[in-house]
Amino acid sequence: MKGKGEHAEGAPDPMVRRALELRGDEHTSHRPRIGNMSTSLLIELFTDHLDSGYAAAARREKDESPKARRRTTAILAAGLLLLGFVLAIAYRATLRQAPDSERVRQALVQDVRDGSALSDSLQRRAQQLSGQLSRQRDAALTASRDGDRAAAEVRRLEEAAAQRAVHGPGVAVVVGDASGTDQVDPNTGQRVPVSVDDNGRIQDRDLQSLVNALWAAGAEAVSVGGQRLAPTTTIRGAGEAILVDLRPVQSPYTLAAVGDPATLLPRFADSEAARRFQSYTGLYGIQFTVRAAKDVRLPAATDPDLRYASPVPPPTTVSTPGSAPAPRPSGGGR
Amino acid sequence: MIPALALVAGVALGLVFEPVVPLWLQPYLPIAVVAALDAMFGGIRARLDGIFDAKVFVVSFVSNVLVAALIVFLGDKLGVGAQLSTGVVVVLGIRIFGNAAAIRRHLFRA
Repeated sequence: MKGKGEHAEGAPDPMVRRALELRGDEHTSHRPRIGNMSTSLLIELFTDHLDSGYAAAARREKDESPKARRRTTAILAAGLLLLGFVLAIAYRATLRQAPDSERVRQALVQDVRDGSALSDSLQRRAQQLSGQLSRQRDAALTASRDGDRAAAEVRRLEEAAAQRAVHGPGVAVVVGDASGTDQVDPNTGQRVPVSVDDNGRIQDRDLQSLVNALWAAGAEAVSVGGQRLAPTTTIRGAGEAILVDLRPVQSPYTLAAVGDPATLLPRFADSEAARRFQSYTGLYGIQFTVRAAKDVRLPAATDPDLRYASPVPPPTTVSTPGSAPAPRPSGGGR
Repeated sequence: MIPALALVAGVALGLVFEPVVPLWLQPYLPIAVVAALDAMFGGIRARLDGIFDAKVFVVSFVSNVLVAALIVFLGDKLGVGAQLSTGVVVVLGIRIFGNAAAIRRHLFRA
């Protein structure tokens, strides 16, 4: 900034001199008239931002009586009330003018969120109840030796059908779409994600091949996006969404697997699918990380639909002890 | 304190009652908002400069809104409404920026 003074002395350009002159006495109310009207107007526009009324009012002596002060407050309150009112109705009007399609879309998004929240809570309730059920069944079965054997069989089958929550060491694989960019919607001012091109998007078959690689590497239980995979679980695409067990999962997808830590991770990392995805990270910018996890917790899969079993009908005859009729075989009813 | 409450009350009134802005008034709403913002920033700067005056503030706010609306109205009648709207927004925008810069200098000394 030391060049300022030197320039003022030796500036050959009259415009530069004028500008410096103007800058020097910014606070005086009178400025030298320069040039024609248009330049002075523009200069004023760029230098005089404050309403000159404030300066004029400050020069007048102030009436400091309490009455005058009250009046000032009243005026200010009325003005600010009006100002807030204008801002609020402008906000409302702008919102109302947002295109209907956008509002419908937002409402639909909200509906979907509400619906999936409800479904989540029902799912949690179902899991809780089925845990309770299996505990009570175990308690009932352990009374006799036959029951014990049946209970062990049931446990084995349940584990095979992913009906029990499991936890243990394993690996966590995170795979995600190539990062897209957000764009601000000009009408609502909200950020709207812009979809990435198809090359960078994870498809259902990508998840399938990764899951298969996990099974092949010796995983005992696998979940995708928190959904435990049962033997009949599907991973499939519906439009741009991927459904695991008919429930949508979102990028980045977390694949968690429980298995022998000594072999699972190296075997998976060496699998063809994992190497392919490693190369995709460079090619398409997708996200792909594999790490060992000390304690992976996987929930139970959703209960399979019962196709053949039907509820035991309540006993109709009063059974006398000792001569109880043989229990009617349940199942195979239909 | 009372003026701050009045501001909040104004916003609340506008949000609660949701007055329907008549169609003929809608083109002036954005201009009114810009004018109101200009008055607001001017008032804050004047306050920081120590020369705030309630009457000047209110009068400048109301007249800013009215004059801006009048200019746009005339422009609409003359068929240059869009251009005049732009002119109003540019002029008020420059003032808002200038006052905001002054406020910033006051508050952060930078």
